[in-house]
Amino acid sequence: MSRRHRYEEPEPVPIDPVTGQPVAIRYEGVYKSFGEHHVLRGLDLLIPAGKITVIIGRSGTGKSVTLKHVMGLLRPDKGRIFLGDEELTSFTDKKLRTVRNRFGVVFQNAALFDSMTVYDNIAFPLYEHTRMKRKEIDTKVATLLAQVGLSGSEKKVPSELSGGMRKRVGLARALVRDPEFILYDEPTTGLDPILAAAMDQLIVETQDSRPGITSVVISHDMHAVLHIADKVAFLVDGVVYDEGPPEYFRDHTDPLIHQFVTGSLEGPMKV
Amino acid sequence: MIRGAIEALGRRVLEPIEEVGRVSRIFAFGTANIFIRPLRFRETVKQMEFIGVQSLPIILLTSFFTGAVFTLQSHRAFAMFGAQAMVGGTVGVALTRELAPTLTGLLVAGRAGSAMAAEIGSMRVSEQIDALDAMAVDPINYLVKPRLLASVIVTPLLTAIYDFVGMVGSWYIAMYVLNMSEPEYMKRTQEWIDWDDIWSGLLKALVFGAIIGTVACYKGYYTRGGAAGVGRATTSSVVVSSVAILVSNFFIAWALP
Ligand SMILES: Nc1ncnc2c1ncn2[C@@H]1O[C@H](COP(=O)(O)OP(=O)(O)O)[C@@H](O)[C@H]1O
Ligand SMILES: [Mg+2]
Repeated sequence: MSRRHRYEEPEPVPIDPVTGQPVAIRYEGVYKSFGEHHVLRGLDLLIPAGKITVIIGRSGTGKSVTLKHVMGLLRPDKGRIFLGDEELTSFTDKKLRTVRNRFGVVFQNAALFDSMTVYDNIAFPLYEHTRMKRKEIDTKVATLLAQVGLSGSEKKVPSELSGGMRKRVGLARALVRDPEFILYDEPTTGLDPILAAAMDQLIVETQDSRPGITSVVISHDMHAVLHIADKVAFLVDGVVYDEGPPEYFRDHTDPLIHQFVTGSLEGPMKV
Repeated sequence: MIRGAIEALGRRVLEPIEEVGRVSRIFAFGTANIFIRPLRFRETVKQMEFIGVQSLPIILLTSFFTGAVFTLQSHRAFAMFGAQAMVGGTVGVALTRELAPTLTGLLVAGRAGSAMAAEIGSMRVSEQIDALDAMAVDPINYLVKPRLLASVIVTPLLTAIYDFVGMVGSWYIAMYVLNMSEPEYMKRTQEWIDWDDIWSGLLKALVFGAIIGTVACYKGYYTRGGAAGVGRATTSSVVVSSVAILVSNFFIAWALP
């Protein structure tokens, strides 16, 4: 299913070999350093449209940095990033800002605005970018809160919420403008196993209830990977070490991947 | 080893230059944004209220005592050559030209500036600023502009209050402690204080307001390293803006007639 409208384009839509889907986001040899610290070292990655891609890797390998590039929050030192057939890395700052409207992001610690109520947090993107009436906003916020299982929490402030609840509000806020892409930065980190499973389920539900939406999930939680992913990319030292469908990783014989999947101290990765 | 030393030296030289560049950028973009929509009128009023509420009590208190102690001390000095009548005017000029703007600036930097740096800093480390960016909301427009504008507007207003209450303190001591004659005190005070004195004090306050807003937003915006980083940003925002206020005060005094 292609979401491209310009049919006169001659070149074919690139297809992601893992899922057989058209490519929505493409990283091509992306490098990024912070001072002496080389984080991304020639990252090549395809994100299939309409599917859930999970990027796994150890803390500090550049998973969040990878996500921030696709929204133009960071610019690569070298390499290119494509969104559909547009080259993001050639955009001006102004044009990048309009691209961001097509994304929803759930941040690692939710990143809710502490000075605002749950209602205002979710409604904020609407205040900023639309002229929706108060009534419409009320309905939209209530619907989203129901979807994330937090009906009636409009008047609460972030400090009254648990970590799991904050992430749910963060998800509601990310969805409020019906984005084409939804990015989750460690959605289950810091949650107990039951809440984590509930969050995973919410990610799948969100994907299923919004046909065509493309999800990218960053995680180091193998459980999530095996349950929700359509495609998994394993990041080591700023490059994709290996990628494939989740089953491919479950029984992988590569010592590095095996060590990560089993969470073992023995193996090529040192603590 | 020599290479390491040269690199260290290079960083020593480059870091302050980079820092000046970033401070200027915050100021320039913050100012340029004044006319860029959304105007953030409500947010600016909210920040003005915040700075006012944070600083007003302490300004009322210190201004009264500044006027009072200055009157007491100058009276002692002037009494040595029988010129006590000049007390009101002298205190008035010192207060409006120097003491009110400088002390107001230092107090606003300590109370409101530090709170602003802490707020923006914690928004940085908890990714709230990234969230703004991700929602295509320019953090300079949304966070920096209202705070910068508010501190440029409110610092002169607070200075005017400092002027007035400081003079009340001076008058009170002159009347009830030093038992000076009221008509004489009033006459000399009015003769001595010029509108120029008051305006130059308020102009200084405007500059100090810009310094406080810029430094607080800069320190907050570029905070790194979690809660400890927020603490460092807060402290250094107070130190840097206080020093900048005192140094720029000298140069403004020099430049003004
Ligand atoms: N804005 C930044 N400035 C400097 N260093 C950064 C910045 N963002 C990330 N880093 C560094 O890059 C590395 C990778 O970070 P990140 O992508 O957040 O890791 P993770 O895979 O855990 O999400 C870390 O060592 C981090 O300190
Ligand atoms: Mg991360």
